[in-house]
Amino acid sequence: MLQRIEKLLLELAVFAVLLLGILITTSVLLRVFFNSGVPDSVVMVRELMVAAIILPLAATSTARAHIVVEFLTNRFPVRIQGWFVVFGTAFGALALTPLVYASWNESLHTLQSGGFYFGQLNLPKWPGHLIFMLGISFCWLRLLLLLIGDVQRIRAGLTIEGLDAPNTEPSTDTGSIN
Amino acid sequence: MDGTLVGLIAFSSVIGLLAVRVPIAFALVGVATVGSFVMFAFRTGTFMGERAIRATSSLVFSNSFDLIHSYDLSMIPLFIALGHIAYRADITTRIYYAAKVWLVGIPGGVAMASVVGCGGFSAITGSSIACASTMGRICSPEMLRMGYDKRLATASVAAGGTLGSLIPPSVLFIIYGIFTETSISKLFLAGVLPGILSLFGFLLVIYLWVRHDPAAAPPFDGHITRADRLQAAIKAWPAITLFVIIVGGIYGGFFTATEAAAICVSAAVFIGFAQRKLDIKGLLDSLRETCIQTSSIFLIAAAAKIFVAFIALTGVAPAIVEFVTAADLSSFYLLLAISIIYLILGMFLDPIGIMVLTLPLMIPLVETYGFDLIWFGVVIIKLLEIGLITPPVGLNVFVIANVVGKEVSSETIFAGILRFLAIDVIVLILIIAFPLISLLIPGSMS
Amino acid sequence: QVTLIAGEAGPNRGARAASLQSFADDVAERSEGEVIIDIQWGGALFKSEAALQSISNGVADMGTIIGVYFPQEMLGYGIADLPLENPDAWVGMRATDELMRSSSAMQENLAANNLVYIGTFTTSAVNIGCQGATIESVDDIKGLKVRGVGAYGNVFKDFGANMVSVSIYDAYQALDSGLIDCSQGYSYAVSALKQQEVMSSYTLLNWGQVGALGVFMNKEIFDSLEPEVRTILSESGEAMADKLGELITVDNQMAIDTMKSTGVEVLEMAAGERSKLVEKGKPYVDEWVKRADSIGFDGAAVLEQYRGLIDKYTAERDEKGYPWQRN
Ligand code: NA
Ligand code: NA
Repeated sequence: MLQRIEKLLLELAVFAVLLLGILITTSVLLRVFFNSGVPDSVVMVRELMVAAIILPLAATSTARAHIVVEFLTNRFPVRIQGWFVVFGTAFGALALTPLVYASWNESLHTLQSGGFYFGQLNLPKWPGHLIFMLGISFCWLRLLLLLIGDVQRIRAGLTIEGLDAPNTEPSTDTGSIN
Repeated sequence: MDGTLVGLIAFSSVIGLLAVRVPIAFALVGVATVGSFVMFAFRTGTFMGERAIRATSSLVFSNSFDLIHSYDLSMIPLFIALGHIAYRADITTRIYYAAKVWLVGIPGGVAMASVVGCGGFSAITGSSIACASTMGRICSPEMLRMGYDKRLATASVAAGGTLGSLIPPSVLFIIYGIFTETSISKLFLAGVLPGILSLFGFLLVIYLWVRHDPAAAPPFDGHITRADRLQAAIKAWPAITLFVIIVGGIYGGFFTATEAAAICVSAAVFIGFAQRKLDIKGLLDSLRETCIQTSSIFLIAAAAKIFVAFIALTGVAPAIVEFVTAADLSSFYLLLAISIIYLILGMFLDPIGIMVLTLPLMIPLVETYGFDLIWFGVVIIKLLEIGLITPPVGLNVFVIANVVGKEVSSETIFAGILRFLAIDVIVLILIIAFPLISLLIPGSMS
Repeated sequence: QVTLIAGEAGPNRGARAASLQSFADDVAERSEGEVIIDIQWGGALFKSEAALQSISNGVADMGTIIGVYFPQEMLGYGIADLPLENPDAWVGMRATDELMRSSSAMQENLAANNLVYIGTFTTSAVNIGCQGATIESVDDIKGLKVRGVGAYGNVFKDFGANMVSVSIYDAYQALDSGLIDCSQGYSYAVSALKQQEVMSSYTLLNWGQVGALGVFMNKEIFDSLEPEVRTILSESGEAMADKLGELITVDNQMAIDTMKSTGVEVLEMAAGERSKLVEKGKPYVDEWVKRADSIGFDGAAVLEQYRGLIDKYTAERDEKGYPWQRN
């Protein structure tokens, strides 16, 4: 279930990047060829940025694409390394809790206050806030599930994925999740 | 609560957490959240829990949200996307082959072509990591196949990848420009000559390496005709077109640096589809990679922003600035100190994290010394670039290690990197000693 | 001894920074060192976009809020941003200051967000500089590519300008490359960003200013202070307007001189043309009144009061000169 939602969120982020490109390109073309433009495109780009960056966070966690420093822990046996990974995930879930709480608060607040961005269209503030809340909440949930899964694997005598290869550096090249 | 003490405890906690493999972003957010709570709760001597929760939650949310909710930073996902799309649309490979057919006859020519290819690709992508991972996928396996020394085959691309941020467009310059309120277009121009200088430095390293140890680069035994060369150069047109669009568009007044990213992505997609090198699936796949990469970059940047806000609460920053100012350093020693600090941070942290962490401290300091902020930006970016290839945490090295797989360990790559580091330090000294290298082009603008 | 943290998203240079600093110094002096204001510059604690929540939630005890980022929450204060005939920096600040202190509707509007008014700033008169174009009449605006802000920007658009989004720091490059023809701005900012190098003309509009930016304080914390301390903060906040008025008026004059000496054609928009600008801005003023009514303000009455205050301080200036010019 979560996996599906995660995929959906990633697809939505991809859609947001596409829209970013299309929106900015359109506004440039309109300006250069018709001396015109897209109203409030700056606000729309900002809202899309939130979607493009926050929505994939859960998938990023699943792909274990968070950048870590591991030259010290690499000296330990794989089983111990597994416990370091577990600690990192647990710490991450804890560290994000206040942010998740805050994002719920702020989204509710912008929904209630009716705040909007000054412009030609006076676009409301809540969509970006809501997207942020969704993305960060699912990331938090994913960390929690990773934590449970990893503990179970270590207890069962298995290694955590990504720790078995000799090259354990973090992957910023994440073609593998596709 | 003594802010300086809390600040020092926080810094050591972050270092401790990083050492035990806690992801950088989580370490920064966690420590900053707890630290902010402590600062807010004990401000007046009596414990104020409820008020502190409200303030802390507001601080963590607004600092992360406002960083991401940015128009200017939209260049980052777009320039990263451009890198991925250019790779899939075969644009990148052709830059490399054009360089290769021209240089293959020279000893170490393929390694040189890789560096030149990196330089060319840098001109259309904004990120060093993207540059290293894309060129690494193309160049390193080929050099290994040709029997190049493993260290040379990998280190040349890891080093070449660092050109990604110095040669415009550049994510790091964008972030620097936003933090220091300097013109991003001017910063882009300022990076050009230092980038080219670094590129020639790397070529020199390869030349000396192969001259000293000819076995490191087995000579090419095929035959390349003049027609081959011409054809390869012509086939590189998409990259050249993109470069012309970026430069001509920004300086010809057609669009802003922010908009250039989107225009180039559109152009690359168009070229890819027109040449049948790219399809919908390829496009979506490259955007998925882009999203994952961008989200992990921004999570660190947002975490660092929260950390910066917390540090502001502790008052450590003005204390340090006061300390340095009181020490009354000459410009030379100040720059030396700054360089050492950045080199040390660069050993462990990623460039964006370092920048958002240190700029709020550095800029007031640098301003009191009357340094040119555009030139200083180039110095900082060069220092951060060096950090990408210094052990123990050299992101570019890890990226290459990841691309070449089990064949080469990151230790081997680091061993090869040392020679490139030597030239980087020389280039850095030149950039510091002769600000004109950076300021010549942007200066000619006004 | 009390230390109050103030958050300011801008850098610690320029006229606004100097008057904020003078406010802090003033508070320290009046309280004989009992109240210290620790200013966090450069958006270290929060960016302008988050100033309101951050102050009302106590991230900082006080700080600068720029009204245009909170058109809903700072609706009342937003009156100072309206394109009224209000181009004088000092007059505008004085009028805004008195309105904020005397109107209970304003105070209630702020209290809803846990805020208290301390003092006001301004960006000073809105003017427009161009490269390769000259704006003498409103008809000249049509078809120009313009960087504009706020309701003023909307009015330029209504006159047929094509609005281009460029940050103020990149306006130089944008004017130079021809990306934009004109940039809305303030005289001192033109000179600080060296824009005169890339401008051929600069039109003084005598129209209005962006004045809804000022210092606000967390109400809970304000209320917890001793009455004497509250008085000191209010008095020092009020004095801030005179300080900034002096600094910004001098800076603006120097900037105009610089422009003239570098060959920029500085012209004034004729009164007849100016009134067309004011007329075109009227829908935005009406919109403010309507929105104010919807949140329980008597919009028209507050506007009337504000116009009256602008007239009052214009008369005072004409009669006695600016405070810093009096002996
Ligand atoms: Na680049
Ligand atoms: Na490093």
